[in-house]
Amino acid sequence: MADPLLTISDLSIGFKEDLVRDISLEVHSGEIIAVLGPSGIGKTTLVRTIAGLVRPRQGSFELHLPSQGGLGYIPQRLGLVRHASVYHNVNLGARASLPLLKGKREERIERVTSAISALGLKEKIHEPIRRLSGGQIRRVATARALAQRPKLLLADEFLSELDHSTVDVVIEAVQTLIDSGNSIIMVEHHEENVELIATRIWLIQNEQLLDMSIEEWRKRQEEEE
Amino acid sequence: MRKNFIAAVGGLLFLALLILIDLAGDWGRLGQGIDNLLTFTGESMWPPNWSVLEAQSYPVCEKDIEFFCSVGYIGMVETIKIAFVATILGFIGALSLSSFAAKNLMPMPIALFFRIVLSAIRSLPSLIWAIIFVIVIGVGPLAGVLAMTFYTVGYLGKLHYEAFERMPSDSLEVSRAMGLSHPTIFTSVVIPETGNHLLSQLMFMFEYNVRHGTVIGLVGAGGIGFYINTYLKLLQYDKVLALLILIFIVVIIIDLLSLMIRSFVTDDGDVRQPKWFSFLKKLKKGSEQ
Repeated sequence: MADPLLTISDLSIGFKEDLVRDISLEVHSGEIIAVLGPSGIGKTTLVRTIAGLVRPRQGSFELHLPSQGGLGYIPQRLGLVRHASVYHNVNLGARASLPLLKGKREERIERVTSAISALGLKEKIHEPIRRLSGGQIRRVATARALAQRPKLLLADEFLSELDHSTVDVVIEAVQTLIDSGNSIIMVEHHEENVELIATRIWLIQNEQLLDMSIEEWRKRQEEEE
Repeated sequence: MRKNFIAAVGGLLFLALLILIDLAGDWGRLGQGIDNLLTFTGESMWPPNWSVLEAQSYPVCEKDIEFFCSVGYIGMVETIKIAFVATILGFIGALSLSSFAAKNLMPMPIALFFRIVLSAIRSLPSLIWAIIFVIVIGVGPLAGVLAMTFYTVGYLGKLHYEAFERMPSDSLEVSRAMGLSHPTIFTSVVIPETGNHLLSQLMFMFEYNVRHGTVIGLVGAGGIGFYINTYLKLLQYDKVLALLILIFIVVIIIDLLSLMIRSFVTDDGDVRQPKWFSFLKKLKKGSEQ
């Protein structure tokens, strides 16, 4: 098997006390991992820890990614520049992996315009984020990740609040990332979305992370029912 | 809640009055002082002497309109020039320093260091900066520009880093996680998010610098203050009053200009066309027809 993109060793996460303990895992190229569990159990904290925004309480993790733009992140609140246009925001993603100093202007423009088109935002390209609807704003955040083309994308509920047809559009767009061998770790609440995209499940319960394949998860669901 | 607020304000007012009584000492002088002020303004200042808007006797005026050779015009234009250059230079300096002083953009030790630098610059009033630069480079507008630039850096720097710290954290977190560089985060995330506040602060600072141009001119740092100082020394208070009225009018015009420029931006930071702009367009169309 190829080298992992992410290696987690004996990791404990949380703030004043542990939310999840003793996580030891590897994430490989092409895997789509859905992080599941009830609210407040530590799903977002896990993603934020891997993003380098929260310090681990114990243990460590290592990212084996390109130094520029290897890691993508879509937080729950999306983190868009609200006073700037759709183009400006998506371009930030492209600039993360293709910095201005490296030239490649045409490639950057191509990435941005194709990401915007893929998510059906061509008409809104010069609109400021503030003027878009909730669903459109979520699509811009996905377009930013698409333009970045990260080896590992951390997405916190990026499919929530979207109607079915928009979920299909977003998943079809994200599929191009997956097809190029990139990985996604996504926090998700809706089981139907998990079924659509995930290949592996991290289920958090009782301060433990259970790592299972999508088939094992389905079987477990059936048994519980 | 409302009662608590009223009680707190009342308490603070009472405390302030107690301190004032302690500071003031002899209240009897206040009535006499007002009499002095009325005599002074009535006999020495009033009416304003508008000869300050006429051409000076020397150098000989070569312009068609005499007003352009007047002390009022020359002094005011120099003050506005000093204020403009100092505001722009100070704004650029403040932006650079405040990007290192904001706690959400830099690690705490670095932010603290730059905050101390900005506090040190700000702790000297512009008048003291003007005295320093008059000593260093001599009397003239350059000393005024440098004095105001330094003060602007200190003052705007604080306003800027406070605006940066109030911005939502999520866009900064995403930018960092994506691996964007500090200059990219600053120019492409922080500035667009806080642009409206920065514009507002810039306009305020320009107006402040025009008003303050009169003060730094008193120590020889150029501008209309230089002429005010000269008339004060010659006891020509009526001319001083005329120049003060001129400054007041210019400050009002700048305030209106500032209001006009800011009306292109909504409270939320969107660019829009203000109502007065559409009105002007209609007027123009009407006159063409």
